[in-house]
Amino acid sequence: MLDIEIDGKALQVVEGSTIIDAAHQLGTYIPHFCYHKKLSIAANCRMCLVQVEKAPKPMPACATPVTNGMKVQTHSEQAVKAQKGVMEFLLINHPLDCPICDQGGECLLQDLAVGYGASASRYQEEKRVVMNKNLGPLVATDMTRCINCTRCVRFTQEIAGLMELGQAYRGEHAEIMSFIGQTVDSELSGNIIDLCPVGALTSKPFRFSARTWELARRKSVSPHDGLGSPLIVQTKHDKVMRVLPLENEEINECWLSDKDRFSYEALNSPERLTRPMLKHGGQWIEVEWQQALDYVAHAFKDIAKNHGAAALGALLSPHATLEELHLGQKLMRGLGSGNVDFRLRQSDFSQDGQGTPWLGMKIAEIGSLDRVLVVGSFLRKDHPLIAQRLRQAVKRGAQVSLVHSADDDQLLKAHAKAIVLPSQLPQLLAQVVKCAAELKGVSVDAAITALAVSEKAKAIAESLLSGTRAAIFLGNFAQQHEQAATLQALAQLLAKITGANFGFLGEAANSVGGYVANALPGADGLNAGQMLAEPRHGYLILNAEVELDSARPLQALAALKQAATVVLLSPFKLPGALDYADVLLPVSPFSETSGSFINTEGRVQSFNAVVRPLGETRPAWKVLRVLGNLLNLPGFDQDSSEQVRAEVLGAATPTPEFVTDRLANPLSDVANNVANNVAIKLDAGPNGLERVADVAIYSADVLVRRAPSLQKTRDAASPAARMNAVTLQQCGVSAGQELRVRQGEGQAQLFAVLDAGLPDGAVRIAAAHPKVAGLAAMHGAITVEAL
Amino acid sequence: MGALTAFFKSLFLKELFQGLAVTGRHLFVRKITVQFPEEKTPQSNRFRGLHALRRYPNGEERCIACKLCEAVCPAMAITIESAEREDATRRTTRYDIDLIKCIYCGFCEEACPVDAIVMTRIFEYHGEKPGDLYYTKQMLLAVGDKNEVQIAKDRAQDAPYR
Repeated sequence: MLDIEIDGKALQVVEGSTIIDAAHQLGTYIPHFCYHKKLSIAANCRMCLVQVEKAPKPMPACATPVTNGMKVQTHSEQAVKAQKGVMEFLLINHPLDCPICDQGGECLLQDLAVGYGASASRYQEEKRVVMNKNLGPLVATDMTRCINCTRCVRFTQEIAGLMELGQAYRGEHAEIMSFIGQTVDSELSGNIIDLCPVGALTSKPFRFSARTWELARRKSVSPHDGLGSPLIVQTKHDKVMRVLPLENEEINECWLSDKDRFSYEALNSPERLTRPMLKHGGQWIEVEWQQALDYVAHAFKDIAKNHGAAALGALLSPHATLEELHLGQKLMRGLGSGNVDFRLRQSDFSQDGQGTPWLGMKIAEIGSLDRVLVVGSFLRKDHPLIAQRLRQAVKRGAQVSLVHSADDDQLLKAHAKAIVLPSQLPQLLAQVVKCAAELKGVSVDAAITALAVSEKAKAIAESLLSGTRAAIFLGNFAQQHEQAATLQALAQLLAKITGANFGFLGEAANSVGGYVANALPGADGLNAGQMLAEPRHGYLILNAEVELDSARPLQALAALKQAATVVLLSPFKLPGALDYADVLLPVSPFSETSGSFINTEGRVQSFNAVVRPLGETRPAWKVLRVLGNLLNLPGFDQDSSEQVRAEVLGAATPTPEFVTDRLANPLSDVANNVANNVAIKLDAGPNGLERVADVAIYSADVLVRRAPSLQKTRDAASPAARMNAVTLQQCGVSAGQELRVRQGEGQAQLFAVLDAGLPDGAVRIAAAHPKVAGLAAMHGAITVEAL
Repeated sequence: MGALTAFFKSLFLKELFQGLAVTGRHLFVRKITVQFPEEKTPQSNRFRGLHALRRYPNGEERCIACKLCEAVCPAMAITIESAEREDATRRTTRYDIDLIKCIYCGFCEEACPVDAIVMTRIFEYHGEKPGDLYYTKQMLLAVGDKNEVQIAKDRAQDAPYR
């Protein structure tokens, strides 16, 4: 610890900290532009100049390390004169266009100019003009306003992992630009809008639509990926205008992925369903709530009476709130049917009852891991901010190994990578297990010992065993895999052998919540896969576009089309549902209802509605509650979502912050699981081509599919049939050629694209897109022919 | 003594005659009453009457939707909605002033960085039914177009003092 003095106040600071750190510790504000707590130090704005005793010149507070006995004056005559001088230089080239600047009212330069700027400019010469750059559909630029602080450049390089922005030319001519002709395509690109201290980088969807002082700031939680980023939703006149991150060091730090930031556009989409609708003689008519709910209650009662309650099924969404999932399953169970599920994309359910797929640790602890194995995850696209944490961990010296079926650039230096066909993933993981067992001297199942071990598997096992804090994570791809149970059993075994933490990277905002609310089939019920494979007479669908969100789209569509009654609770008029549904009930998206999400680390985050429901829309928990009343079911008398939450979680107030004590990834039964799963399934080998399906980042859920700006990004490009050179040659097609892809009874027409990151024999076709809804399943054999 | 003086004052109606003297004097003073509407009093070039939205000489509307007038308005009489126009400039899609809420303080004119919202000399306007005094962007622009000569002249006269 060093003893220093700032403005006459003595304090102790840790060695290696800078003057600005020390000042913040004391609560003293030092004006700055380029300094940011999460970014490296550039010291190029010079706004933070302070007077240091015995130093001949003012020193930049952000870049000057403290020394013992240092005496700093932050507001002395010399310091203020230096700061005012810097401000005058910064304002020389800055246009005086605050009235048309979107940053007006929330601009650091504007604020500091009040304190340090002169009332008039002495500058007579011509001002510099910088041409605007096209950075894509999310970030608007006014580069003349740029003060060259390089925060955006450092962000793309250090946090997003790829230097998509840079500073070109020198001195007066210096300007920030992307690579010639390139846009900024990072899945975290929206953060440069927050980082920019001036109006050079602003939000394109929000452009010119409102001023910061008109907006009400309300807290909410992101309904997309498993992280559950806390949000500040800004609203005006009951309309969501934009979304900003709410800083939480334990979840999102101060960042937000573009998905969380820009998906709000869908909330104001013209596709919103605002009144209940009934299909009457093939025509959709708008009706009153009472009529629609009576219809549903009668239809469900009829089916239960004529065909038995088991002829009903509920397909819920992992993006629905805890309260909705609870009431949804309660309704079905009340009717006597155990057919409830929310895991629509899962295809292997044989691991049911073996604990809850959660992270197994705190999100904040990811940064302190030193050995990580990620199995089957499109990490950057599925979990942008968890990928960011791993990236920082790698920079600190952690070794991250990847086992996957596609070698996407995760923008982190992977220690070892094993890219194999989906069907060979279990085998590969088993090789790692064998290696680790040998190194540790543990005996494992004979089926595993018999395997030949590849170099990569050996490297991964050695890496996992060499560290002190290891973790193994199963990503979305592994959870959706046809042999998910085998992968889970093997990963658990590996975790047990290596002493690593075992966990899942949660697919959706409430993937854990679904388990806590027990929105799962019991012993007598059918899971999502079975419900669609063995068609039911009546379906209740909550907030899901089943023909896109399902593991087997064709089967799902067929099941829904034959059903006598399909009731859809959705905020949107889903185009597919207009065909198969019989009743459309408009329910609130996350912004218009209160509720809770349980994120992948088991953290319960409750939120309130930020705007009033649009039109006749009602919160889904209320709709389900009233439906329960109409069906004369007991236990549907809650008055608030808090009461529903209390029913699920037990305690009314205060909210339990974590439910980790109810979650478990038991490592104790591992031996049995392995014996049951591995021996049977390890041999499943490939026959011909295999499909690798990712759920593209901007088609993952109902909301993002309707966010126009996100749909214009490169990540939202239409799906293609991606193959490596060997596979292309093997199929006799060339890149750019149009293909007919057949899978099961379905087919789709796609263009062939060369992707060197795929194993031989793999055809990567994104799922969850209308263009590929004709393909039978997210996995399995596929054939390709030139058109 | 005091009581006696008061008695004589009231007996001879002194204060009444004092008052009548004032009335009598004013019978012969020059009259200031004007016969409105035939006659009108002179107005300052800073007169704060009906609002107007101005245009540049080339016909382009001045308002850039900075919303400073909306923010400064103490009566919250101004409602603005803004958007990007096809030519990528910042423009209002809605600019309404509720004249019933307005207190004619002139802050909106003070706040405007481009002299778009101004207060004219017009004070003889009325509404016949509810809503007539809710002025929309088109109405305000029409007022501006009609009175631009006078508005420009007033601004030019006042310019040295700003």
